[in-house]
Amino acid sequence: METLFGITGKDFVIAAYDTKAVASITMMKIGEDKSRNLNDHSVMLYSGEPGDGVHFAEYIERNVKLNGIRHGLEMSPKAVASFARRELADSLRSRKPYSVNLLIAGYDVKKDTPALYWMDHLASSAEVPFAAHGYGAYYCLSMMDRYHRPDITEEEGIKLLKMCINELRTRMILNMPDFVAKVVTKEGIRVVQL
Amino acid sequence: MAGSYDRALTIFSPDGHLFQVDYALEAVRKGSCVVGVRGKDVVVLGVEKKSVLKLQDDRTVKKICMLDDHVCLAFAGLSADARVLVNKARIECQSHRLTVEDAVSIEYITRHIAGVQQKYTQSGGVRPFGISTLIMGFDSDKVPKLYQTDPSGVYSAWKANAIGRSSKTVREFLEKNYKEDMTRDETVKLAIKSLLEVVQTGAKNIEIALMGEDAKIQRLELSEVEKVVAEIEAENEKEKEKAKPSQQQ
Amino acid sequence: MDALVSKYAHSSASPLDSSEGFSQAGFDAAQQFALPMFDIPMVSNPIDFLRAHTDPSAENRIRIQHGTTTLAFKFQGGIVVAVDSRASGGSYIASQTVKKVIEINPYLLGTMAGGAADCQYWERELGRRCRLYELRNKERISVAAASKILSNMVYDYKGMGLSMGTMITGWDKTGPALYYVDSDGSRLKGERFSVGSGSTFAYGVLDTGYDFDMSVDDAIALGKRSIYHACHRDAYSGGSVNVFHVKESGWEFKGNFDFDKLHWDYQAQPKGQIV
Repeated sequence: METLFGITGKDFVIAAYDTKAVASITMMKIGEDKSRNLNDHSVMLYSGEPGDGVHFAEYIERNVKLNGIRHGLEMSPKAVASFARRELADSLRSRKPYSVNLLIAGYDVKKDTPALYWMDHLASSAEVPFAAHGYGAYYCLSMMDRYHRPDITEEEGIKLLKMCINELRTRMILNMPDFVAKVVTKEGIRVVQL
Repeated sequence: MAGSYDRALTIFSPDGHLFQVDYALEAVRKGSCVVGVRGKDVVVLGVEKKSVLKLQDDRTVKKICMLDDHVCLAFAGLSADARVLVNKARIECQSHRLTVEDAVSIEYITRHIAGVQQKYTQSGGVRPFGISTLIMGFDSDKVPKLYQTDPSGVYSAWKANAIGRSSKTVREFLEKNYKEDMTRDETVKLAIKSLLEVVQTGAKNIEIALMGEDAKIQRLELSEVEKVVAEIEAENEKEKEKAKPSQQQ
Repeated sequence: MDALVSKYAHSSASPLDSSEGFSQAGFDAAQQFALPMFDIPMVSNPIDFLRAHTDPSAENRIRIQHGTTTLAFKFQGGIVVAVDSRASGGSYIASQTVKKVIEINPYLLGTMAGGAADCQYWERELGRRCRLYELRNKERISVAAASKILSNMVYDYKGMGLSMGTMITGWDKTGPALYYVDSDGSRLKGERFSVGSGSTFAYGVLDTGYDFDMSVDDAIALGKRSIYHACHRDAYSGGSVNVFHVKESGWEFKGNFDFDKLHWDYQAQPKGQIV
């Protein structure tokens, strides 16, 4: 029951993930990192089939890094999302597709805008103002529809995120222990414990 | 006689030489000079930059390449060959991170590059890479590293070394002037000073990149190189003046 | 390499750039560390093949051995690893004296849960690669790297019937390290893991009795007791308890304790205090 959230605001994106690692009925670990920083201004969150998420995200991470070193330029969030989508789409048509849901949160330094991409395991990708993956989405998308504005401040964004997490804690059958948020701004990526 | 060995790709001559490798080394000797110097907690790479033509964009001529965050490579010889080798090395750096989580060690990537160069002396239908490389960087042990590879696939570690045009002169200069545990400024100065042995045109034809303990690559601005060159020139003047009266006596 | 393998090989295992026409490159970590060295059965669909031969309704069914309790946890004095020793195929106890801790090298241990053959084969393969790494790089492999190699290897066979849940433990430059690796491709770094059919029982005792600052003797006693309780409740765990202690100088075998004897020893002791 993994949950991912993403919220854009005026000059930032918040991307949050729960930190549970589960194997059948056992919680193997709390504090698992379900994100990879792709470069200084984009981060990828993943959920889905165990194993696939990490392998796919790290594969993308290394390729984005390679691209950065080759060209001496950072890939924009849009470029990163397009690349990831293509890799996922290609894998979907192979014998063993990756089964991962993704959120790509980034800050486009050139255009000076935040960007959030929602992508599912069938490789459909969309740029969105806010997003959620997993069962949490069934509770929280409506809340985001209700409360999100494009000009939201970072503080309000974190507050909205906390409202969403509280809702999960009151209504979801499984407990939702910890969430970690990564905030992407012009200055880079930083981690916020929730 | 020798002509017949030239036609085949790398095969032995009766006296045990691989002519293609020897010629590749010749291409290296024709390439512009590169020095590398290791200090106490710093490594420096310096290259002799060919003057760009009036209408050329000098940003497109790069002789010091970043392989990974903590590894830097400079080469002497054919830059088109270097591009291919650098590309292979960059892929290996990321591939290594992907498969064993850790970044490559400097020796590892040097060995990989030398391995590729060696393969090209022993495979059909290929010619050796016409480049020697100097590779600098920091491992997790925070000790500065400097390695050299050449077209035959030999690699070795150095305190300071030079490759390319007049490398012998420069190496001898380094041998004479190298001191243990140099500071950042001393190391940069020695690198520039040794380059000035072969670069007549001064600061504008020198490119310097260095790496401190933080393992971040820093490239020196032209103004910074100019400052050091001016300093060196002033020192040389002083020494000349000191030398003069003694000669008159 | 077998054409089938390359067909199955995931993009993570192949070199990053396929546009690279020349495959003359020298040592390639992606090749050396990720690609497994054994062949897939010469059948059109290995997954169906395996299923057909392990299905309960199959005429000559191969019973893959399952059922285990293994645990490992970090504490102030390093890591304690404790396992049971029963191998079962369905309701049949195949052996009571299985070595479920695999000694990869003097500094690395792997545990065995799930398919016994899968664990043994892949951890031996891991041992070979770790030794090669050591020879090539003149230093011991980190536990992180070793576990990643194992994870990459089994991930290449994901969905093809491999079954293993293992913990890789050891001591490297960064100190003690503990990873959980399974055949889904999961790889988790952690403080405390238990794997196998009896893991839930072991967790109960382990979690309540755990204290990072405990002494080595207490830690060993806790590991032993957790496995004992799992053996008591889980029909597929039993035999005896093997305990290892991982410390800076490498791992040390702390003994084999027969389950029956432990049972009567523990029976004679008062119940634990409820805090």
